[in-house]
Amino acid sequence: MLHTFAGPAGEVEVMLEKTEDGYAFNGHQAEKVGDRLRLTLADGRTHFAHVAKHGDVWWVHVAGRTFRWERIEPGSASTGDDGGLVAPMPGKVLEVLVKVGDTVSAGDALMVLEAMKMEHRIVAVHDGTVTAVHFAANDQVVQGAALLELEESN
Amino acid sequence: MNIKVLVANRGEIACRILRACAEAGYPTVAVYAANDAGSLFTELADEAVLLKGDSIASTYLNIDQLLNVARATNTTAVHPGFGFLSERADFARAVSEAGLIWIGPSPEAIEKMGDKMTARQTMRDAGVPVIPGEEVEENDEIAALQALREASSRVGYPLLLKASSGGGGKGMRAVHRPEDFDQAAAGARREAVAAFGDGRIYLERLLSGSKHIEIQILADQHGRTVHLGERECSVQRRHQKVFEEAPGPTITAEVRDAMGQAAVAAAQAVNYVGAGTVEFLLAPNGEFFFLEMNTRIQVEHPVTELVTGVDIVREQLRIAQGEPMSCGPLMLRGHAIEVRLYAEDAANGFLPAIGPLLVFRPPEGPGLRLDTGVREGDLVTPDYDPMLAKLIVWAPSREEALQKMRRALDEFVVLGTTTNLRFLRELCDAEAVVNGTTTTTTIDDRWPNGWTPASDETLELASLLAASTAETAGMHRAQSSGPSVGGEVTPNPFTTISRRFP
Repeated sequence: MLHTFAGPAGEVEVMLEKTEDGYAFNGHQAEKVGDRLRLTLADGRTHFAHVAKHGDVWWVHVAGRTFRWERIEPGSASTGDDGGLVAPMPGKVLEVLVKVGDTVSAGDALMVLEAMKMEHRIVAVHDGTVTAVHFAANDQVVQGAALLELEESN
Repeated sequence: MNIKVLVANRGEIACRILRACAEAGYPTVAVYAANDAGSLFTELADEAVLLKGDSIASTYLNIDQLLNVARATNTTAVHPGFGFLSERADFARAVSEAGLIWIGPSPEAIEKMGDKMTARQTMRDAGVPVIPGEEVEENDEIAALQALREASSRVGYPLLLKASSGGGGKGMRAVHRPEDFDQAAAGARREAVAAFGDGRIYLERLLSGSKHIEIQILADQHGRTVHLGERECSVQRRHQKVFEEAPGPTITAEVRDAMGQAAVAAAQAVNYVGAGTVEFLLAPNGEFFFLEMNTRIQVEHPVTELVTGVDIVREQLRIAQGEPMSCGPLMLRGHAIEVRLYAEDAANGFLPAIGPLLVFRPPEGPGLRLDTGVREGDLVTPDYDPMLAKLIVWAPSREEALQKMRRALDEFVVLGTTTNLRFLRELCDAEAVVNGTTTTTTIDDRWPNGWTPASDETLELASLLAASTAETAGMHRAQSSGPSVGGEVTPNPFTTISRRFP
């Protein structure tokens, strides 16, 4: 079985092998035990993993670490949003610091949002030119809303 | 006669107070906004009353509505918790004028300490050292910014801008260069106006390399004022504490005595009654300066409770009713550490996170305490503070307390919402934490470019195996958990077999 996940460093493919008691990948073994998984690592260590799925995302807790893997349905296009200029959470636009046509450098603050009573800065992820500003001060934004568009300069 | 207590708060601290009242045998009333319906604290109270309104201002901050609920439920006492109205003198006054017991200090004490600028002056007059700085009494925005700019050149850089009505890191900005001053001052002012309705800002010299040490005090109405020793809360991110401990790892008995006496003097200077905390900065040379006094129960009170054996909330209830406090002379035993579990993305500038608590399994075992207002299945929303829980450990020594905290954090499972669990766990291994040499800049010093989790490729691959197996085996929790749907019900064997138990 081939599974594709999106993680912090991009997409990963997992070729899962069926074993007598469960499944294996890269020399590590997994076996379902109630609502948990017993993981036997290639080096012999054993850990119990907790898993839960929300939307397309599998949350996994193993050995004090929590991982988040978004499952990419077979055949679907990957979610390639590299701009990063989206609202990280619902909130209100306090201030727009740039206008269309402005040239900005990576790290420049573009917009200030207020959420959970704190101010959050939206910063340019790369050098570029602002090509669109979708919200004005005092506008409410929902989580994931595209706030601005930035064309990368070469 | 028993008091009946209305808790004018929500979440974790409401649970803490409601439980203390239940233990004392006092009936309780919880109040909640519509978006808190079904929260744990509403279930811990004997009665829970829905507050009308769809904003914090119209619900938890609405004095008229809270007093109406108090009257309608025959409440006799009000506990404000922390945050919200806890440090609002007008609320304290309105509660007392309605003939109810206010579980907190007098409105006059709240006013004197709550306005940070007045507090600095009061402390100077009482002979308690304050941080070098300047207050700017100016309400007009442009004039205030001008006066602040002038004051900044006298105070010197680096400096800290603080809201006079501030708290919780809101309206606070560190400024390292004069060219950043205007933007920082405007931002601090704007945040202060939004959060407190008061845009007055003052300046303090930024004392880097200092420890944040605070003294818990208790004062009753019989003239007794005591301190319960110190807590060290130096480790902060975005000026909010994340790791607190008692006793302070570097505090000698002499320093404890000196700070304790200063804290008691501060409390007596405003005729303080109840539980309060006097915060100090302790410079590397041993000098300490008054920061502010918090005229309420504090988030990190459990570490003091664990090392002193004093139940601070029970003492608050006792003191408010005019009884003498029950605690004896100060005795410190062992070491306690608290960490604050936040729904936040520590790897992304500690940005608050939201989501469902699909799995919420706190650690268990000896020496652990969990103060929380959430449980598995709850939804973390952007409506309120993103603190999910406080995990507190006690052990005979500091080293063992840290070991216990590491073990407890490794056991803690939260799935569905991003939390700072891993950050807290790695914090327990930071050299300054291990050595007890933490300062207010420890997090920035240890992770100057922001925290990212130390990678472990083996566990990452194992987690991919777990996710793939779970997907293949259909371990989607919404389907697999909860009461069995359909299916055969197995009869209880103890009802069908005959057996005697010794």
